[in-house]
Amino acid sequence: MGKVAASVAFAFLLMLNRVAFYLELAAIVAVLSFFPKYRRPLISAATLYWLALHATWIRQDLIRRVALNEGVGDGWWLVLGAAVVMCAVFGGLGVLFQIVRTRPSHFVGRRPVLFLVGSFLTLLAAAGTLSLHGLAQVAIWMLLALAGPYLWFFAYALGDCASKAPDPYWLQFGTFFPFWVGSFNSSTPIGKGAAYLRKVEAHTPKDLAMVQLKALKLLIWLFMLQGALLVFRAVVYGDLSTAGREFSQAHSFRFPNLGVPTLAAAFDQSAAGLPPPRHMLWAAVVAHFFDAILAVPLMGNMVVACIRMSGFNVLRNTYKPLYSTTIAEFWNRYYFYFKELLVEFFFFPTYVRYFKRHRRLRLAAATFAAATLGNLVYHFCRDINWVYELGFWRALAGFQVYAFYAVVLGAAIALSQLRGKRAPASLPFYRRVIASAGVIGFYCLLEIFDYEGRSHSLRAHLAFFGSLFPLGR
Amino acid sequence: MNDRLAIREFLQKLLRQTGDRRSFADSDSLVMSGRLDSVDTLDLVVFLEEKYGIDFAERGFDKNDLDSLDNIMALIEAGSGASV
Repeated sequence: MGKVAASVAFAFLLMLNRVAFYLELAAIVAVLSFFPKYRRPLISAATLYWLALHATWIRQDLIRRVALNEGVGDGWWLVLGAAVVMCAVFGGLGVLFQIVRTRPSHFVGRRPVLFLVGSFLTLLAAAGTLSLHGLAQVAIWMLLALAGPYLWFFAYALGDCASKAPDPYWLQFGTFFPFWVGSFNSSTPIGKGAAYLRKVEAHTPKDLAMVQLKALKLLIWLFMLQGALLVFRAVVYGDLSTAGREFSQAHSFRFPNLGVPTLAAAFDQSAAGLPPPRHMLWAAVVAHFFDAILAVPLMGNMVVACIRMSGFNVLRNTYKPLYSTTIAEFWNRYYFYFKELLVEFFFFPTYVRYFKRHRRLRLAAATFAAATLGNLVYHFCRDINWVYELGFWRALAGFQVYAFYAVVLGAAIALSQLRGKRAPASLPFYRRVIASAGVIGFYCLLEIFDYEGRSHSLRAHLAFFGSLFPLGR
Repeated sequence: MNDRLAIREFLQKLLRQTGDRRSFADSDSLVMSGRLDSVDTLDLVVFLEEKYGIDFAERGFDKNDLDSLDNIMALIEAGSGASV
């Protein structure tokens, strides 16, 4: 009875949170609750179901565009071709698994993630530099578009494969864009891979009940957060929800708002030579930061709620970021699973290999490897459409603003870590407030450079940054 | 002082630094559960490298090896020989 009630409550809360496919999600979770012994195989089956019916993470638009541009049309054979390539991708990963297990001293066996990511980048560079045409061009972009979203999920699986007691391949399959990540259009492996899931799995009915209750509580909190975000956007930007717009039109009522421009709008106006007043620029920068503070937990923690309902007591993706008293702590609290990905595949591999005799240099190098290099590699591999549109080198050169962002972020986190961490309780209240304000100020300004597009230059962003200050204009 | 006790004290020190004064059993998860973060894990890596000569670059780094006191003891007992 309790399981039915939990599943119904889950469906209701997903509906309140305006989650698409909420009934399907609730049905899957109900099945997982009733058959906990078969949880992992059922998750693999649910993931396959989601891949077949709701694979929104695959760049179908890119595949279609390439096919049309190459004059090979957009017919049934494209779907068939994608299915064949997808099978080849999963088959190729199976071969990698075998190499890691049976040939651990081979380069691929020792560094499988480096091999995987390196191969993807090489293929991307080839696709963006070679002048391929026709079927060859369609095939290479189809492969990139289908394998790209899975890159880091595969990396977690390969990491597990190199451990002492890994899951078999067919169970790992449930962690390749599992249905909980696929439902929310995230590209980050929230919930990581099989190794982490094994650690946090609920093994008793009591554990399951507790973790599901935590999931429901989280969904209630997210519902309130959605309300706060709607009010924030309405008051600050005058951006009304659909219901608000309908009410406003029906009653000819104008909701009062502060009229703050979004950061993107303020930037565009400044770039066009018509900048808003300086106080409005600052308001746009600060509002953008707090908008993200409200919006980021919604998506990430919604995924966490789904994972918890499925029986895994995973940590939250965003957890009280405004409590942070250091730049490194904020990064840890703001988007936990992205940070964990970088720590796992860039930070630790660098830390255990290089500059072992220079403790501070070792920490700084590992931090740069994660927050700067890893961050850049992740986003470049994710946004492959830029490489198709601009070519490899222009897409790389156009990445300058985000590269600047990643370098500053890496330097700031490295410095923050080198200064050492402070136990939260040991700081007096006023020092905590000052430290938190400093952290917020830093990230507010850094967000100006958190630009993943390719239309605006670093110079334009630096000019915008300068215009915030009296000497900048 | 035996190894288990020395490592327990080191882990307790790391937890105290984060304001965590709860006790833990030998098999309790500390890293995967989030009680120790990545910077704490680094301190633990350095401690094991310096005190027990473990070379993580050679043997492969697996967070799970550092997750609990039992796992760390198993790691030390396995020595610094290559294993994947």
